[in-house]
Amino acid sequence: MKALNKTGLIFFPAYDWEISPTHPERQERLLYTQDQIMEEGLLDIEGIHEFKAGFATEHDIQRVHFCVPDVASRITTSHNISAGGCIEAARHVLEGDVDKAFALVRPPGHHSMRVVHGARGFCNINIEAIMVEWIRRNYPRIKKIAIVDTDCHHGDGSQDIFWHDPRVLYISLHQDGRTLYPGSGFPNEFGGPNALGMTVNVPLPPRTSDRGFLFVIENLVLPILEEFKPDLVVNSAGQDNHYSDPITDMAFTARGYARLNEMLSPDICVLEGGYSIEAALPYVNTGIILALAGLDYSYLREPGLDTESIKEGQKILDYIARLTDNILDKWHNKERLRSEYYEGEAYVKRDKSIYYDTDGISESQTEEVRVCDKCPGVFKIDSQASTGYRILGIHIPWGACQECREKGLEWFNEAEGPYYGVYLQDMDADRYRVRLL
Amino acid sequence: MMLGIDVGGTHTDAISIEGGEITASAKRVTRKKDLVVSIVDAVIGLGIDVARVKRVVLSTTLATNSIVENTLAPVGMVVSAGPGIDPREYFLNEDFYLVKGAIDHRGREYQGLSDREVVDAGRKLKARSIEGIGIVSKFSVRNPMHENRMHYLLANEFKYISMGHQMSGSLNFPRRLYTTYFNTAVMPLQHGFLKSVGDAFRDMGINADILILKADGGTITHDAAFRLPVETILSGPAASIMGAIALTGERRTALVLDIGGTTTDIGVLVKGVPLMQPQGVDMAGKKTLVRGLDLLSLGLAGDSTVVVEDGKIRIGPGRKGPPACLDGTSPTPTDALSVMGLFDKGERRRAEESFESIAQVLDKGVEEVARQVIRNFCQELKSAVTEFIDVLNSRPVYTIHDMIYPEFISPETVIVVGGPAGSFCSLMEDTFGIECKVPQYHEVANAIGACLARTTARITLVADTHLGKLICPELDIEKDIPGDYSPDDVKVFGMERLDELYRYLGMEDRPDIDVVEEQSFNMVRGFRTVGKNIRLRVQTRPGVLSLSRA
Repeated sequence: MKALNKTGLIFFPAYDWEISPTHPERQERLLYTQDQIMEEGLLDIEGIHEFKAGFATEHDIQRVHFCVPDVASRITTSHNISAGGCIEAARHVLEGDVDKAFALVRPPGHHSMRVVHGARGFCNINIEAIMVEWIRRNYPRIKKIAIVDTDCHHGDGSQDIFWHDPRVLYISLHQDGRTLYPGSGFPNEFGGPNALGMTVNVPLPPRTSDRGFLFVIENLVLPILEEFKPDLVVNSAGQDNHYSDPITDMAFTARGYARLNEMLSPDICVLEGGYSIEAALPYVNTGIILALAGLDYSYLREPGLDTESIKEGQKILDYIARLTDNILDKWHNKERLRSEYYEGEAYVKRDKSIYYDTDGISESQTEEVRVCDKCPGVFKIDSQASTGYRILGIHIPWGACQECREKGLEWFNEAEGPYYGVYLQDMDADRYRVRLL
Repeated sequence: MMLGIDVGGTHTDAISIEGGEITASAKRVTRKKDLVVSIVDAVIGLGIDVARVKRVVLSTTLATNSIVENTLAPVGMVVSAGPGIDPREYFLNEDFYLVKGAIDHRGREYQGLSDREVVDAGRKLKARSIEGIGIVSKFSVRNPMHENRMHYLLANEFKYISMGHQMSGSLNFPRRLYTTYFNTAVMPLQHGFLKSVGDAFRDMGINADILILKADGGTITHDAAFRLPVETILSGPAASIMGAIALTGERRTALVLDIGGTTTDIGVLVKGVPLMQPQGVDMAGKKTLVRGLDLLSLGLAGDSTVVVEDGKIRIGPGRKGPPACLDGTSPTPTDALSVMGLFDKGERRRAEESFESIAQVLDKGVEEVARQVIRNFCQELKSAVTEFIDVLNSRPVYTIHDMIYPEFISPETVIVVGGPAGSFCSLMEDTFGIECKVPQYHEVANAIGACLARTTARITLVADTHLGKLICPELDIEKDIPGDYSPDDVKVFGMERLDELYRYLGMEDRPDIDVVEEQSFNMVRGFRTVGKNIRLRVQTRPGVLSLSRA
């Protein structure tokens, strides 16, 4: 047996880290996955290589986040290693050691937004986003990146971070937000004024199974990727769409996940959620690894799986077909919609309230972006949290034009008022500055 | 008196030790057709009073050769696996039978075995006059019920049987499959050989315990070698590394170079303990669960052929015979040493002649060529060793603790053994920039290693208090445990069982027990802790009997 695609695996189960002794994000979470991977002998297959995880630096984290008051107080070492594991996966792919890689790491990250006051949805920092910015910093040849998030929960953190970025396409398939945390991720959330259409949300009805998911991949995700032409595809491979997951209500199978990855053929997979640690994770992860490596997974199935009983009905499939049509239609009209929504606007503001369920913190934000035809547009975030911290974060994006750059520096230098501090991310200069007030 | 005998591909070395002294050594050419005669010859060569021999340890290449030369007896395999990677991907021939039956990662049966299918497979194998079978199921180390049932159904029909869970407690179905296969395959040969050696020794008047060296540098009893012959394959390189430990008493982190004629084997001691392969050794291109030393084997040795290719000197990896200075035909690193005055056996004139054509091609003097050969030899060795150590140091770890406090291997000394070792000492010191030593008796380090090797044993325990079960596959133990069974309980139980096993296998005082793996997980179901999943692996530390006490 030999892998068609050389595949790297970063396995970091963090056997000595948990949110709390009975929290789903617990030490035991990847134990049975490791057992299955070992018993299947996956790491002995020619062309499959295991690599050691690494550490993300504070600077790697600051490219993405405004941690309040600072990085050190918002994370533990486990977060450094989880993000560092993703970076190592990317490094081995981009250095050509392997064709594809899977960062099977924890804790997860896709609910972490640009401003971090605490943990939400079990996430402190956004491990994919940290990886994406590390890639753009170290491999300038990678200009366009697509993230396809197949976790059952809407990746509201990843959406927030890349909302204004026209070079990062974020597509999320998830259980409809009317029925599940975090309650967002509807098709009208479509990206900021300078990146309209670069956020694509596909809220799927509860009980969607293999046919529904794969229909969306084939008829929506692949056509959009075909047009976007990314230099790199990342799959946020959450595994809680599985029919056995205890905190969601979908009906996806291990073989379905494998097929999804075969169709999508991502360069890098990153584990996100998934808390059916015995009945799903061992099999889903095996399926993903086999599919990435281009190996046969047709013999894989969960113990006791009854495919017929979990199949979605025709009504669900019809609904998904209509949803897919509508979203695709919208995507094809994104330029027209942009001029319709934002013609003549110089700045666009939005207000957000964010709840950090894991830490019980409330935050209110006002975000203001400069509408720009020449670059992704500078933006600032005024954020006040129930912890008492209020900060102003300013982001000067990759390839910022002269005007946006000057605007960003002006905001940074001239800000006064009730802030704990003013924070600046200057992507081209790879500089992070904090001015405490 | 204790004897150590290493039957190598070229030579058979024997050594006797008594009263803390090496009393005799002998080297004989190995007769591949009759290893028993080679052994007897070597023992006679010692010129000792055989009646005083109390213990003999044998290291042989017998099984290795039959695997390499593919002269194994045919083996039937009966396998139950269940879903995953299609197990048929791993089948070697039509004598591998897949039957129904599946067990999951926690050892729960989720598809039953079909007795009829198993019996049918047995009947078909029988019809092909196959005498030996291997029985393997996926996750049998978590629950051997299917393997045990298949054994029950087939045991009376076959002369040689091996079961997967008894080979090793480690997870890895494909490796379990091949380990079990090889174990049965070498049984007829091994049984015949051990019996002949026993008979020959008795005829000579030796009434000693016979132990066999394993690939991990430990010994097992004659009886255990009957049941687990696969463990004794590939013991050759282990013998030399154990010899280096015995001869130096090294307690630091060290490189051991065993420089031979055809290959140089490089082993690593971490604080004096030999480093093992994380999963198991390779045999005939197949990965197994047989524990063995983690060795780097290079075709860069004393007799490697030196040629010029594209204007560059290339050494090995082949060997065309002895060095030119020792009546060979082609130039070798040993000849280069001879030219440089670092090797004083043989004829230096012939060594010089052997480099003449290379010197002409490169338009250099013979001595300059010889120096270049040795420089290349050292550089190639160094870069291979550096890469080997880098790989060891970049092995993944799974806890935050191990990420923050990595245990990097950084050798403090080099021990060189093997025939040409003496000539290489100062060269190796310059190459690696650390202290280098060549112990006395280094040329028979292999036989000394065999002679003084201690018994090794290792067991694996998994306790699942949610299921109320503890299992130790290597010892065929399955035990009901109460809900409050703790990691300490598992440890106490494991230590006791290991101690018993050691007393059964070995004859010496038990050495220290190492806990090589210890994990305990709270099992959380629905925001409630329902039990503990405890994993423990304990072993007796590999090592040697001290020379003074021998």
